[in-house]
Amino acid sequence: MKFTRLSWLAATNAAIVALACLGAQAAPPRYGGTLHIKLRASSFSLDPREWAPGSLSSAASEKLASLVYDRLVTLDDYARFQPALATEWTHDATSRNWQFKLRSAVRFSDGSMLTPADAVAALQSTLGKGFEVTAAENGIAIRAAHSTPDLLEQLASGRNFIFRRLLAGTLLGTGPFFVTESVAAAPSEANPSAIKPARIKFQANEGAWSGRPFVDFVEVILGEPPLRQLLDLQVGKADIAEIAPDLVRKGRQEGLRIWNSAPQTLVALRFDDTLAAPASDQIREALWLALDRDTMANVLLQREAQPADSLLPQWLSGYAFLFESPMNLQRARELRAAFPAGVPGATQPLRLRVDAPGDLFKLMGERVAVNARQANLLVQVALPVSGNNSAASAGGLHLFAWHYDSLSPHSELEDFVKQLLDARDLPGNATDPEQLFAQERRLLEERRILPLVLLPEYAGIRANVHNWNASPWGDWRLADVWLDSEDPMTSKAPTSPPKNNPTARNPGARP
Amino acid sequence: MLSFGKTYSKIFSAHFLFSRVLFPIAVLAAGCSFTRPALADGDVALQEAAQRLAERVAAISGLHGALRLEWHPDAKWPEGESEHWQKILRDEFEKRALNLTEDAGAGVLHVFAVETPTQVVLTAKTRISGLDEVRVIAVARALLPPGSLPVAPVRLERQMIYESPDRILDAFIFGTGAEGGLAILLYRNFEIVALRVDSKGAVKQSVSLNPVNLKPSRDPRAEMTPRGSVVSVELPGKSCEFSWESPAEVKCHTEKPAATGKSTWRGTTLLTSPCDGSSWKLVRSESEPNTRDVLQVVPDGALRESSAAVLSEFPGPIVGTNGEQNPSSALVVAQNLRTGNYEIYKIKLACGN
Repeated sequence: MKFTRLSWLAATNAAIVALACLGAQAAPPRYGGTLHIKLRASSFSLDPREWAPGSLSSAASEKLASLVYDRLVTLDDYARFQPALATEWTHDATSRNWQFKLRSAVRFSDGSMLTPADAVAALQSTLGKGFEVTAAENGIAIRAAHSTPDLLEQLASGRNFIFRRLLAGTLLGTGPFFVTESVAAAPSEANPSAIKPARIKFQANEGAWSGRPFVDFVEVILGEPPLRQLLDLQVGKADIAEIAPDLVRKGRQEGLRIWNSAPQTLVALRFDDTLAAPASDQIREALWLALDRDTMANVLLQREAQPADSLLPQWLSGYAFLFESPMNLQRARELRAAFPAGVPGATQPLRLRVDAPGDLFKLMGERVAVNARQANLLVQVALPVSGNNSAASAGGLHLFAWHYDSLSPHSELEDFVKQLLDARDLPGNATDPEQLFAQERRLLEERRILPLVLLPEYAGIRANVHNWNASPWGDWRLADVWLDSEDPMTSKAPTSPPKNNPTARNPGARP
Repeated sequence: MLSFGKTYSKIFSAHFLFSRVLFPIAVLAAGCSFTRPALADGDVALQEAAQRLAERVAAISGLHGALRLEWHPDAKWPEGESEHWQKILRDEFEKRALNLTEDAGAGVLHVFAVETPTQVVLTAKTRISGLDEVRVIAVARALLPPGSLPVAPVRLERQMIYESPDRILDAFIFGTGAEGGLAILLYRNFEIVALRVDSKGAVKQSVSLNPVNLKPSRDPRAEMTPRGSVVSVELPGKSCEFSWESPAEVKCHTEKPAATGKSTWRGTTLLTSPCDGSSWKLVRSESEPNTRDVLQVVPDGALRESSAAVLSEFPGPIVGTNGEQNPSSALVVAQNLRTGNYEIYKIKLACGN
């Protein structure tokens, strides 16, 4: 890259301004304080075995679980797998047989030692049937039914945490925090019609093998209204808060520091099997051609989303740009004109059920209905009613949100197909991106899934939060975050770790 | 029988670039853009990836005539890295008798490169008889050479003398000539390790401080100072000593809480101008982990820090400076945000521009 005089001047000026603003010397990290976090999901589970692939609540649960549990390996931002509970790993030429050496002297939060049997039990329950996990000398062996060169990607993401299940059902972790308090959402005592949000509090694990985290406590409140979360961030009641995509612009205008991940959630339409077979292909094609994804992303979501043409995002597959979803209303109308009488979408409306929670998804459903109407298709939005399954019986078309959980594109697509299309396994070679592309293209050409938009994850970060270094795929890495001592919400924070308090051990995380 | 592949430790070996012979050359080159030499192993992986893609493209049936190569590199890549890829791809296509031309009327062969969290995905796309033909291959990013990195022109003389995938905490230069080398303190696999490397880059000695029950720490602060035959290491709340002669005898003691806040941490790093003997101090911004740092060198005692400043942009956050040994030079440790590696630079003031 050539530097012009102008760019050098600009860089110089920017640097001077930055230095003037930021002060002379880097401040040392500080220990202590409570990090207050607000998440959008209303419920969570710290038991990875309960997480439904792709669900929004699983995404929040994974964020919380990463405070309590560790993985065998992690992925850094530079495509390098880093040792965590495994210090070394090897595999054979077929990539079916893997061996992992476990780190020695690692303790759970109750002080007991991590053993290979713990890792075997945890991974056998999360990896599933295609894998046989056994204890080996100083570690574990994983034997896969098929060649699995992407095993490290799988182990570094999703629900593949290492934990120990106690007889009472409690799960223990080796992570930087443990749970001290967990309160489920419940009706408010003062106003029974209002819901008091779920709350969970974590305490620093003094004996964490990876080093004590900087903050003493992390307190998380879940499921408050999006606008309330934004307000709490502004008035200092939260240090980090998830921000709904439609509020990001407002946050920016009000000067909030906002972080975003790579696109993490796909919003899409799914046709179920209730449509009459002879016309279903034409209905799907006509709706696909009628969708105006650009307007959804740029107007409805104020440029805080991307139009989606694929099932996997570009950052995960590397080939998503090959797919296109050109809007063609003229062709959609021609297809509609050829519908046989009586099919859904013609004389009777096609029911669109919004399966994702929140007003934003309802608005998107209404936008789909408007697009459909422009092609003379009748689409009626049906919202699921709590405690009533009438919307479920509406059938036909669903609007859903899918959260990407895995760092392996093959594993992600396989979960997607299993969960949404009732298929078993993806055929072909997991390692070959060309085959993966062909499989995804086939799925898209069926038009059973119509991608709409991709949403990044947004979070507002207060200025008192330092060393924020979240990964592009949404791992917040909160153990490395530290807080200003001057902040009124935090206790006085020393610059060295507090002395180990052996009595401050907790039985661990309660699922 | 299983034949196992590389282990973690084999894959991530450090690369040492320290050389007293190279340093004067680099000084002359100061002011020009700084490019890291590519690693031979990485180029092999890059070449193999290009070969695989070229073979698949050459095997497309019905692919005849001249083709115009349109290259679409990953948006994050710097120009040098992109050009390097394009050249290797072009060479491999031509080796397989693909007739590449600049003719605007020729059929187009699009080649895209996209970085994912673990791979570079290469996609070739061309149109034959009205149909798109697509070929996709992927290569693990960890196997590829770190990209060349453009750095702003500097008025400081500086040279990168060491890099490591492990977190470098501190470093100092010892000795001179063939007897000299670099001592490095780093955090490797959750252990603090001191390395002694010679002037040619070979690791001569490695001393782990963990046998004395040092706990892993997320705090990146650490300082290493030579005191005669002993090396002292300051860590948050701990003070350690060892000697290269008897590395097994590492001694550590806990500092009193009152002392930990204040500290023995180094103060301002000062450089002496070789022109008039004036003092200049190093000032760095309070950086977050994902921002490039600009090191500012300002006259010591200047009222406004921006006046007469000499600026030097680093490829990521500066994690430490050490100017204690030599009044005319200092070491700067920075993380490279493109590669993730930690790099040690030697910087020195020069007269004029």
